[in-house]
Amino acid sequence: MEYPKLYEPGQLNLLFNKKEFFICIAQGIYTSVVLFFVPYAVLSNATQINGVPLADYQTFAVTTATALVIVVSVQIALDTGFWTIFNHMFVWGSVGSYFTIMFALHSQTLFRIFPNQFHFVGSAQNTLLQPVVWLTIALATAICVVPVLAFRFLKLDLKPQLSDTVRKQKRRKPGGRSMGGAWRGTGSVSEGRLGARGGSRRSGYAFSHQEGFGELITSGKNMRLSSLALANFASKHSSTSTLVCNLATNDYFSVFVYDCRASPWGAGGTSRKQPGAELRWTCEGEWR
Amino acid sequence: MGKAKDRTGPLARRPDNSAFKQQRLPAWSPMLTANTVLPFFYLLALMCLLLGVWLLLTVQSTQELKLDYTDLGSCSECYELRKNVSYAEQGCRCKVEFYIDQTFKGDVFFYYGLRNFHQNLRRYMDSRDDAQTVGRESQLKNPSTYCEPFIKDKDGVPIAPCGAVANSMFNDSFSFNYQTSSGHIMPVPLLRKGLTWYTDKNIKFRNPKTGNQTLAQVFEGTRQPLYWQKPVYDLDPSDPTNNGFINEDLIVWMREAAFPNFKKLYGILNRAGDPFTHGLPKGNYSIQISYNFPVQPFQGRKLVVLTTLTWFGGQNLFLPIAYLVTSSLILLMAVVLTVAWWKFGKDGKNMKE
Repeated sequence: MEYPKLYEPGQLNLLFNKKEFFICIAQGIYTSVVLFFVPYAVLSNATQINGVPLADYQTFAVTTATALVIVVSVQIALDTGFWTIFNHMFVWGSVGSYFTIMFALHSQTLFRIFPNQFHFVGSAQNTLLQPVVWLTIALATAICVVPVLAFRFLKLDLKPQLSDTVRKQKRRKPGGRSMGGAWRGTGSVSEGRLGARGGSRRSGYAFSHQEGFGELITSGKNMRLSSLALANFASKHSSTSTLVCNLATNDYFSVFVYDCRASPWGAGGTSRKQPGAELRWTCEGEWR
Repeated sequence: MGKAKDRTGPLARRPDNSAFKQQRLPAWSPMLTANTVLPFFYLLALMCLLLGVWLLLTVQSTQELKLDYTDLGSCSECYELRKNVSYAEQGCRCKVEFYIDQTFKGDVFFYYGLRNFHQNLRRYMDSRDDAQTVGRESQLKNPSTYCEPFIKDKDGVPIAPCGAVANSMFNDSFSFNYQTSSGHIMPVPLLRKGLTWYTDKNIKFRNPKTGNQTLAQVFEGTRQPLYWQKPVYDLDPSDPTNNGFINEDLIVWMREAAFPNFKKLYGILNRAGDPFTHGLPKGNYSIQISYNFPVQPFQGRKLVVLTTLTWFGGQNLFLPIAYLVTSSLILLMAVVLTVAWWKFGKDGKNMKE
């Protein structure tokens, strides 16, 4: 909690709004066009060394699908800000399981049992042994990923968000990178907590779209909340309440726990929330 | 450090103080800094350039000859004849001549090509029975309903091999001749085997078990597809092992092409005897074509393609040129990024504190 301004992107819906959505769609369309037309143009005239042409449907299918999986994995790897053991496992694991499943589906065993359903027999082996195919996949990956990389680098250089500044500072601090603690609790989304991949640039995204404890709080009961839920509540109810947290940290090995009470302005004690009424929050917290 | 765990009372549901639950897992946190991204871009541009140049040089060393014979010379009469379905039983032969000005060194591959023939149409691709062509007894006389309407002939006899894909098999045949310097016409020997994938020939396509019967007897009770002139067990009279479902031309045709303009392997030059030991010598050549496949109904074209190959394939100029173009675009982008970084963003001067 030493950087409370990190909550701003989530509260202001900066990381996932209509403009970002359309940029996402545009990137998806561009990638799809590249992933279809590059193998199409290359394989129309391609042949193997033994003369057999590579322009058949199954080779084209395997090439395009493999290019897709690799481009998407590279994209996810670019998005991942924190490579924990789980990130490595899931990224390399998904590429590996794609190849495993593909070889299994194209195997002789399944073909012998259901010839009409598994008629891609031999496709994976024949296609992936061709250098032309791998050169095509490499080209498609380069064309898809380079614009994304350039755009991100420019954004990071010319208009870095606060979360990037924080990350850069943390990298400069000795040993600060692998310390979890409160900063990681706010700046990143860990797999254990929300099941999403790590990445500080996505922290606002997760914050602004998580179910909050708003209703529970407005009933006026005392609640113990984690910093995560509190920030989320703040973003949902930002129009009716203001939440200012000036907190100090002591070390990185504890969790900060709040104890908050809500009351309408000017009234003492707890009462039900009136529509349109403003709430005043009183929070006490301690490190545990 | 955190307090000792307390399993009762107000702290009962607090998460454990483990690295996993308190989000303290060791992690590598890469960042896109200028001194990693910019060299990466320059390196990538250089690699693409080298790859593009190398591939271009490889492609330039191949030779290719394409000949569209749909209505070329005497084949135009055959083309007119084939417009009319009632003359389908009537054979038609025509002759086409071409000249090779530079010897085709090494192995030469002969292809037939079709334009505007969509083997990638979904209903067409479904119209086959792989269980029948893998030699299953139960499917031989009882093909899958996906082959409709190419499943039984008008007498109700099942068709082997069934389906639209097999029915539309390319049935032109070519014989190449070379005119030697002395004026003597000699045939160009072609190898008509080894045209398919190993898995196709040995696993995907198998004849039904013969036992002590001949192949013709095994196919008793089935009929050939409607558009064929010969039954499936007699497709290659010269080679008894090349008949039935494992006939190489059938297998080559049944591997559907992904695009409407495609070529399929017809034969490989047999370099055993003179004068073809080093490839195709330069000179005059002619092709005797048995013209059977009608292309006028779908405004298609037929071609013959001769080519030499390298590890990269034949004349496939798209990939080297694409690599060169990509390399120049990446270089341009890298220069723009360098300028932008140098003038505006160096040393993190945009970072707010």
